[in-house]
Parts: sequence; C-alpha cells; structure tokens
Amino acid sequence: MILALTIGVLTGGGIYLLLQRSLVRIAFGVGVLGHAVNLFLLTAGGPAYRGEPLADRMDPATAADPLPQAFVLTAIVITLAVTVFLLALAVIGRNDDTWRVPECGTEHER
Amino acid sequence: MNPSLLALFVVVPLATSALAALVRVRAVQVGFLVLVPLLSAAGGVGLLLEHRHTPVIATQLGGFPGGIAIPFASDTLAAVMITVTSLVTAIVLGFARRTGEDRLRFFPALALMLLAGVNGGLLTGDIFNLFVFVEVMLLPSYALLAMTGTWRRLGAGRTFLVVNLVTSSVFLVGIALVYAAAGTVTLASLAGAGDDPRIAFGVWIVLLALAIKAGAVPVHGWLPSTYPATSATVMALFASLHSKVALVAMLRLYAVVFGESHPLLLVVAAVVIASILVGSWSSFGESTIRRTIAFQMVAGVGHILVAVLIASAAAYTAGLIYMVHHILTVGVLVLAAGAIEKTYGTGHLVRLAGLLKREKLLATIMALALLSIVGFPPSSGFWGKVSLVVASAQGAPGVPPAYGIAVIGAIVVASIVSLLAMQRLWHEVFWGTKMTLVRRGHARQVGSGGSAGSGGEGSTGDGGGESVPLPGSMRIPAVDLWPAGALLMLSLVFFVLAGPIWQLATKAAATVLDPSLYVQAVLG
Repeated sequence: MILALTIGVLTGGGIYLLLQRSLVRIAFGVGVLGHAVNLFLLTAGGPAYRGEPLADRMDPATAADPLPQAFVLTAIVITLAVTVFLLALAVIGRNDDTWRVPECGTEHER
Repeated sequence: MNPSLLALFVVVPLATSALAALVRVRAVQVGFLVLVPLLSAAGGVGLLLEHRHTPVIATQLGGFPGGIAIPFASDTLAAVMITVTSLVTAIVLGFARRTGEDRLRFFPALALMLLAGVNGGLLTGDIFNLFVFVEVMLLPSYALLAMTGTWRRLGAGRTFLVVNLVTSSVFLVGIALVYAAAGTVTLASLAGAGDDPRIAFGVWIVLLALAIKAGAVPVHGWLPSTYPATSATVMALFASLHSKVALVAMLRLYAVVFGESHPLLLVVAAVVIASILVGSWSSFGESTIRRTIAFQMVAGVGHILVAVLIASAAAYTAGLIYMVHHILTVGVLVLAAGAIEKTYGTGHLVRLAGLLKREKLLATIMALALLSIVGFPPSSGFWGKVSLVVASAQGAPGVPPAYGIAVIGAIVVASIVSLLAMQRLWHEVFWGTKMTLVRRGHARQVGSGGSAGSGGEGSTGDGGGESVPLPGSMRIPAVDLWPAGALLMLSLVFFVLAGPIWQLATKAAATVLDPSLYVQAVLG
C-alpha cells in the first residue's frame, strides 16, 4: 500500500511539474516521473520478496526477482543521460520564464 | 548461416560509431558513413536469401537457454525492413555529404548509432530490449536534432525530447504490467497471451507508447511540429527510421499477442481512420514543403495500421508494402525539398515560384514522387493503396464488413484531399511567375516577385529594397539531386517488380501472423 501511494504521489508530482512552462521544472518532472516508473517496475517483481537474489547463498523462495532490478538499472541510466541533455537544452535557447506580449513586445518577469 | 551472426547487425554499427567518434580522420569517417549502411543492407539481402528456406533465424545472446536469454530473431519482415532502412540510410547519408552536415564533429558517430538502434529494434525478440533499442535510436536523434537545421530546432528539440521521455515512461509502465502478469517479456513466450485480460492490458499500454512514437492520431501532434524544424537530411533519416521501427514493432506485437482475435476493434478503427483523414487534411493547410510532407507521414501511419485493424494475411501484406512505399516516397520528397532549400534558401510555398522552367530534373522527380504519395502509377504508391483497398475489401472473419468499407472510404477521401494538397504544393512551387531576388540593406532574401499576395510590390512593401531576377546560374546542382533520384528509382523499380515483391510481402505476413515458427525458433 505504501508503495502504491508513493508511486501515485510521485506520478502526480511528476505530471504537475511536466505541465509547467520552464524546461528546468520539466526536467525535474521527468526525474520524478522516472522514479515513479522505476518503483512501478520493481513492484512488478513482487515487492514481498526482499532477499538478495544470489543463487548459492539465498533460499530462492524468499529471494527477490532480479529481472525487474535489471530493468530499473537500465531505465535509470537512460533517464539520467536524457535528463542531462534536457538540462543542457534548458540552458541554451531562450529563457522560458519570461513571456512576450505580442502587441507591444515587452517582456515580463514571472 | 550461423544465427549468432545476427548480433553483428547491431555490433558493427555501434563499434564503428565509437570509432568514428574517436578517429578524426575524415577519410575514415566518410568510409564508415558509406560502407556501414551498405554492409547492413547487404546483410539484410543475405538474410532474405536465407529466409527462402529457413523462415525464422533466432539466436540467444549470452548462450542462456531460450526464454531466459535475450533473443535476436529475424524473419522475412525484419529482413525486408533492415534491407530497406539501411539502403535508405545509405542514400540519405549521401545527401548529408552534399549539404556538408557530415563534417559536423559527431555527425558520423551519431548517424551510425542511430542505425545500430534501428537494426536492434527490428531484430530484438523481447519487449524490454525493444525499449532499450528504441532509446539507443532516440539518444543520437536528440543530438542530431539539436545540431542541424534552423534555430527553431531548439524549441522543436524540447518538444521532441519531452514527448519521447514521457512516452518512454508509458512504455516502461506497459512493460512492468506485462511482466507482472505474464512473468516474462520475451515476445515468443507471449504468443497468444492476449486472452488473459491482465496481459492484454499491459500490451495495450505498450502499443499506446508505440503509437505515440509512430505518430498516430490523436497522439501525432509532436511529429509535424518537430520534424520540419530539423534539417532535411535529419528529417529524412527520422522519417524513414523512427516511426517505421515503432510501426514494425506494433505489427509484430499485435500479431504475436492477439493473433486474429480483434480486440478493441472500434478504438483501432477510430485511430486508423482518424490518422488517414487528419493527416491528409492537415497537409492541405501547411506553409512549407516539409511541413506538408510531415502531415503526409501522419496519414501514412494510418494507412500502415490498417494491417492491425483488419489483421488478415492480406492486410499485413498490404501494410508491409505500404510501409516500404512510404519510406521510399517520403524520402524522395524530403530530400528534394532539402535540395531546394540548399540552393534557394527557403522551403516556404509563398517564397518559391516558377521552378518548373528552371529545374527540369527536380520537377520530374517531385512530380513522380507527388503522384506516388497520392497513389498514382507509375510508382510504388499505386500498389500500396491497391493492396490496402483489396485487403480492406476482403476483410477478415472477426471484422464486420462495415469497418472495411469505412477504411476504403477514408482511403479514397484522403487520396482526393492529398491530391488537392499536393496539387497546391506543385502549383505554388513550380508554377507562377519567375522568382526574384529582393535585396534589402544587408539581408538577401529570395521572394516570388509577382505573386498575388504581394501584388508585385513585395520589394517595396516592407523595408524597401530592389527586386532583381534570380541569376541564371542559380540552379540546383545535379549532384544534389542524386539521393532523391536514387530513391525515386527504387520506387519505380518497386512498381515494375510488384509481383515478386508482393510474394515476398505475403511470405513475411504469413510468418508474422503464424507465430508458431517464431516461437519454436526462439524458445528452441
């Protein structure tokens, strides 16, 4: 239940941040959403089984499923790489936090 | 053939990509850019020859037993797609050498990495590895998008990046649901698993993610707003590779998991018909050549997904034929638009005029390609639409005939609308008065002097400047047109050799729709 609630809160927060204007906040949103998805992947392996999945030391009946952990590891690496690129894009280009009124062309700080 | 050689389709482009990033000798980089896609295409032809007597070749990476290992499997569908995408990549990279984009620091490395991801995505027999290879394909795309094209690319890059990141999250959620319900993500182990609603739900989420990546209506909005902002070379690469990998994955996943059971028929039908109609309708109102083509790509996704809707052998054959046709034709149009932009500096319909008298070769290529995308002979588009209509008319046991009729109606309406849209493009770019060059201050701009909108006053309308005729020496060099011409030749060959190609596509469809051989080869 805790896990489900955590995933729910992270997804909600991630989507809220994704809907913001600034690309930095969107980058944070992607990170938060990535965590939610990673937890979701871990749940797929059955969270009740917590033992280290080492074949010769643990009883296989209590060992965790290693495959979702491998999935999560891969997903973390990909999310990290893309987040770095997203932050780089946030730096170059125009400033998202200012907005231009079409008629007079003046800029306002938000 | 030793099945473990399948890994070379990924290993060789990845290894040469790393080498191309490290070795800064131009001859080596150009050699890789030319040779690796051609080698990959040759490998694809080799696979096709092999598939004449072995329907499915599979290998287990790492040597674990089937069902646990990471499988690579090639059937006729994968072999056809590898051949076509590699060949198109080779030709598009030839255009990159004409525009000078291959001189950018990391361009060769990124292009080869893209090829590795595409080959891997086409060959992998595991949904999670499909995700990984799609990411391998997307990561170099982000960089390619950010380093070529106009300044608008940065805004487009943001959209592209965020949409694809969120889609990847959706993809992972789908994979987690499939794994939680089925305990496996190997495609062969999921054969016929669509009867279990829990697995089916996960697979639908994965299909949704793939539909976003392919650009089907109603999740298509990112595609026409990002692709035209890149350079023509990169757009041609994306158009022929990205959405097609997602589409092949959709066709295969749907066929393996659901077979011919037609779940959620109404939803699939709505997506297919909406994509066909919205794509062709929207291409009418666009202002540049490449934006028009981008909406034709959305329409193309709808046409290809007819295979999933009808899900009969004939429909899968038609979907594959249309997909190959679409890769070739969109490639011709984008590369021809790129050649125009390189010489005349703009792809805007209002700024181009009267090219018919100046550019005979370009006009021939564009005319045939525009006819092809609408579906007229003498090029591949004709057989693409004929096969789709025939398959829709035949229908399938589980599909009410009304759906087939609706699809045919949508295809006919979309063809007429596309014809009008393409006629408008032709009219704006190739007909009309002679183009003039407007000199104002320091800026130099190409404009159509006597077009109706500016009433011949375009030169004095804003900021002043004098309007001079384009110099006669300003022509598109013939070498700039060879990539588009080569793709067009492939499309014409496709029209002439429709018989053997149809047989090949029928065989590919049969292997995809009857996964027993695939399952046997992968699980051993």
